[in-house]
Amino acid sequence: MTTITKILIANRGEIACRILRTLDRMGIPGVLVYHAIDADSPAVKMASETIKIDGQTPVAAYLDMEQIIAACKKTQADAVHPGFGFLAENPEFARRLELENITFIGPLPETMELMGNKIKARSFCLENDFPLAPSVTESDSEEDFIRLAKSIGVPLLIKAAAGGGGKGMHIVRDIDRLEEAMHLAKGEALRSFGDDTIYAERYVEQPRHIEVQILADHHGNVVHLGERECSIQRRFQKIIEESPAPMLAPDLRNLICETALSIAMKAGYHNAGTVEFILAPDNNFYFLEMNTRIQVEHPVTEMVTGLDIVELQIRIARDETLPMRQDEITSKGHSIEMRLYAEDPENDFMPAIGQLLTYQLPEGEDIRVDNGFTERMNVTSAFDPMLAKLVIHGMDRKDAVKRAICALEKSLVLGVTTNIDFLKQILSHPVFSKGQIDTGFITRHAEDLLPTPLTEEQRNLLLAAAALSHRDFIDPDFNVPQPYATIGNWRN
Amino acid sequence: MRRRIDIENQQYEVTVFGRPEERFFQVADGAPKPVSLSLEENENDAHTIQIGNNRTQIRMAAKGEMVYASAFGRTVSLCIVDPVEQAAQASGGRGNKARSPMPGTVVEVNVTAGDHIKKGQPMMTIESMKILTVISAPRDGEVLQVHFEPGKTFDKNAVLVTLVEKEEL
Repeated sequence: MTTITKILIANRGEIACRILRTLDRMGIPGVLVYHAIDADSPAVKMASETIKIDGQTPVAAYLDMEQIIAACKKTQADAVHPGFGFLAENPEFARRLELENITFIGPLPETMELMGNKIKARSFCLENDFPLAPSVTESDSEEDFIRLAKSIGVPLLIKAAAGGGGKGMHIVRDIDRLEEAMHLAKGEALRSFGDDTIYAERYVEQPRHIEVQILADHHGNVVHLGERECSIQRRFQKIIEESPAPMLAPDLRNLICETALSIAMKAGYHNAGTVEFILAPDNNFYFLEMNTRIQVEHPVTEMVTGLDIVELQIRIARDETLPMRQDEITSKGHSIEMRLYAEDPENDFMPAIGQLLTYQLPEGEDIRVDNGFTERMNVTSAFDPMLAKLVIHGMDRKDAVKRAICALEKSLVLGVTTNIDFLKQILSHPVFSKGQIDTGFITRHAEDLLPTPLTEEQRNLLLAAAALSHRDFIDPDFNVPQPYATIGNWRN
Repeated sequence: MRRRIDIENQQYEVTVFGRPEERFFQVADGAPKPVSLSLEENENDAHTIQIGNNRTQIRMAAKGEMVYASAFGRTVSLCIVDPVEQAAQASGGRGNKARSPMPGTVVEVNVTAGDHIKKGQPMMTIESMKILTVISAPRDGEVLQVHFEPGKTFDKNAVLVTLVEKEEL
């Protein structure tokens, strides 16, 4: 058995809070590394011990292996939970920890190298007859790559080999723009992952993004926890996820989950991971990628299965056998997760910053909120703009959608622009309620998702309220009686 | 008192004055009309706003020149524009400053003070939320100063690069 007595969380925000909640429940002390900019984060208050880290940018601090390992040694943490992003899929980090006798809560470095590299993962699937969309990888000759990419034909998707999380991806619909897209994708890939290798694959139109949660222990037991649908996306960034996937025939569902299981088994997978697929309108499905870590949207799986994936990750890392068999895993009801982002949907979804003057999120039975912020905290542009995840459980999908809209109506965020209204529009859309979704949903229904314009009456009420609450307007010194008001812009 | 208030990317000239018992209110040009106008504070950021016979509940929070309001099933930001800032914005259109369209981080800087550049020439690459954007020169000219180095973060509308002032012909 592997001893784990104290876990250091090499992450921040809502996932750090979420992991700490499970540690608390399991009675395992948690250490948190944090950058000064996160000093007010709720996670910092929840951890038993905290170690401040630094970097050229806040992100750089959370990527600094030296500081994180030093923090482990200082606090005698014997395990690290990397969360997602940052160093979660970095094999070098996993190896460094191994050398220091610190347990990395995740798969083996070799598995990360195989599945984390999109090109290797695809070759692996090809060799083992797992379903794949036609693709071409880079070789020495850029001309060959371009020629082969053109032979696959448009639409084409250019992706980063070392990538994930939607970065470094470009859709090419006009073959003349291939080289431009390649150049941009390489730039983003180099910057995000330190590796500019790209590959191109046939882009399936109207694809559904279906993924399967996998858990595997170190004793040969591998199970799946069912599927999630993550088709509500914008620029490859997920916004709404749900489990189970709507409108998915049971046979197809089982085939997809079994395929994911086979892929994980064949790859010798350990701990938690997710196999992602593209499901085409003709019901063919193709391996997209495997994420060798816990995912942002894992709560929807937890809500329907009643399992705690972080707890299971820790138990697997402790060398325990999986506490359940595949036939003991059931899915009850329906769960929907909404990602609350600090962004302005009316200004091309630009990230928003500011202070959370009012920050009220709903509570209740069947509502789970994974939150990284509290009222009065500042939202900066240092990290990606996700504020919180609102996760709903309902008896069935219709019930879940209704509760989700209700939860949004009970949410109030003032001081930073968020996508709350946008989420409401999506959930209220008739096509969404029918479950006829695919990754093109947001683009296709963009007009419907715009906010209802204010009437003149409503606008005037808002203008008056703003004016009357502002010092300039109600300070008696500034009150100018007729006829002087008509002089116009007048100052002392 | 008259101020420009921006709401949903539109600008409105709003005039309010008078005593609570008799207020004058006008949006846009024209003589302010006397109208019954009141803002009542309830609990928890909740307010009741009334203009004549129209009233509604609003949740509101303000900071600096920004007022954030939730009403009619949606959240809206209003900006009460300071006249000095308004004047500065009006004269800033000569293209001497390249501003950031959104908050982000500088990835790469391609120019330095003293460089002569052409309109459209890439000056800087920035990154925000997984997207790289190239900041190009707004016109031919000479770089006066680059305000951020690679790795530094900035807010929306921050001045990234200033060009040497062009003489008006």
